[in-house]
Amino acid sequence: MIKFWNKRVKLGILTENPELEDEIKAIQKEIKESVKKKFAGSLALRMVDSGSCNACEAECNALANPYYDLERLGIYFVASPRHADVMLLSGIVTFNMQPHVLEAYAQIPEPKWVITLGDCPVMAAPFEKTFAIEGPAEKHLKVTHHIAGCPPSPKEIMQGLLEFLKKI
Amino acid sequence: MRFIARYAKDKGRVFEIVTLYDTKTEIEQVHKQKPIIKTLSHEHPVALWFERKMQDDFGIIVEDAFDKRPLVHQEQFPKNVHPMCKDFNEKELQYSKFQPYNYEVINGDGVFHVSVGPIHAGIIEPGHFHFSQAGEKMLHLEVRHFYTYRAIEKMLEGKTLQEAKTIIERISGNESIAYQICWRDIMLQASQQELPKSLQKRHAFLLELERVIHHLTDLGFIPNDAGFGAALAIGSKLSEDARRKMKEITGHRFGFSAVDFENKFIDTASLHTWLDSLKEDLEYFEDWITDIPSLWDRLDTTGILALKKAVKYDTVGVVAKASGLAIDRRINNFYLQNGFEAVTQLSGDVAARFKVRIAEVKNSLVMMHNFLEEDETILKLDSVQDGEYMSFAESSMGELFMTIDIKDGVIERFFSRDPSFVNWQAVHLMMRNDIIADFPLINKSCDLSYAGNDL
Repeated sequence: MIKFWNKRVKLGILTENPELEDEIKAIQKEIKESVKKKFAGSLALRMVDSGSCNACEAECNALANPYYDLERLGIYFVASPRHADVMLLSGIVTFNMQPHVLEAYAQIPEPKWVITLGDCPVMAAPFEKTFAIEGPAEKHLKVTHHIAGCPPSPKEIMQGLLEFLKKI
Repeated sequence: MRFIARYAKDKGRVFEIVTLYDTKTEIEQVHKQKPIIKTLSHEHPVALWFERKMQDDFGIIVEDAFDKRPLVHQEQFPKNVHPMCKDFNEKELQYSKFQPYNYEVINGDGVFHVSVGPIHAGIIEPGHFHFSQAGEKMLHLEVRHFYTYRAIEKMLEGKTLQEAKTIIERISGNESIAYQICWRDIMLQASQQELPKSLQKRHAFLLELERVIHHLTDLGFIPNDAGFGAALAIGSKLSEDARRKMKEITGHRFGFSAVDFENKFIDTASLHTWLDSLKEDLEYFEDWITDIPSLWDRLDTTGILALKKAVKYDTVGVVAKASGLAIDRRINNFYLQNGFEAVTQLSGDVAARFKVRIAEVKNSLVMMHNFLEEDETILKLDSVQDGEYMSFAESSMGELFMTIDIKDGVIERFFSRDPSFVNWQAVHLMMRNDIIADFPLINKSCDLSYAGNDL
């Protein structure tokens, strides 16, 4: 364990704000404040993949790494739609997933919002409409905000969440 | 003889069934009026999903199969619709009446069932797992997928190879470079050209970088699923560093559209330094994590896939290597000259898969040094010739197979077999001696793709 603590002291705090340092710092302050005001300190996100390639999920997982550490802003990914305020929807809404997406949405307690993540749910990704695709997501759900990108980088997701917080 | 894939093609009056082994290819034709074939699942159990997929896609009847349930088409999918047939051109389908799916279960006194998914608790792709439980012990697991089925095969028909590229590279985000390399090889075969050495090295570098990113993520997530969060902090830090390098080199964090025929400038000096520092970090990580007995208590002897089963189920990639089966598409002169070493473990458990990942990353770092070259070559491609082409690549999950038939300059049939497609079928074998709480750990140690599997 000594080895680990030595390394930890040597590494220090990694949580950083790559590029645009000041801008992000301002964003973080704003996010923190609006989460505090609007969601009593914690915004609970339920991630639902409706048929993506896993890149959007990988970027959401990256939000938890030491560089971004989303949870310090009071934003959490929760394990059940019943714990959530917001459904973060990635993927193209496949024929096979559509009923399950609607079911998960129904489970989220009011008030609730939907944020679409990545180019797939708005049919902006290179995938074309086939019989197995039921997108865009707007056809089935009321979408409050969209975070564009294929996939959006962790920084863009953070920015997108802030825009959402400003909107509501 | 290792079974690789079995797929069908619509050839007008007949269906052509191609069965691919590592040493030979068998082609069989059946008349559309009487589309009946025999199953291979007695000798090669993983042929089952290929055959069930064929049954859904084309309406081909597998006469002596013991499992004739639909695979791709789920509860509300219209019956008797076979979308891969050439005469199917619908863009919209109506949901039909819900017809329950008969899960493969074990019943008995006190035995109960647990359904998990398709939407999971973590941030992962959708898929369904159906457990038969005796208390905490798992008696049986049925893996059921195809929730992310986007009908990529149909989507690509009628497109040129160039047009298809942006879709092919997005089939599975974690394996994008591998898919692009398969596409590249088919492009080269179809235009009858040789790839300059320097471009081959650039692409090989990117493929290894993708492998490093994926393995580092797993090296964090596997201990995390055993309740050891500190490893995730380190693993995810290292994988983020590597992903930023991918962005620096290709302009995209996942390397989408990175594999092209132009060798752009890369700063080799700084990359050599970065590779060295990553090697140092990894050695520290290995040294540190090997010393945590409570973690290895969870990893050792959990989720064992015996060598005999790994062979019988024709597994590939990390899963096969951890059981002692050295199957790797990189066993060739090009890679061997650049320092490739096959990695295997014998115990076949979660710990073995963890160790294989560490060893593979180390080997990748050695090779990446050798792949770095400053050279600005551009390859001009000739026009594409019609024909039937096949290619392979070793993605971070294992052997990826892709085949494209080109007719009149456009894609007539596209098929790819993700390494996950065979490995998913072997996952239930790993559960025999474990409790349900071990399942997330075992699943993560294989870290298979859902999107690549479903297409």
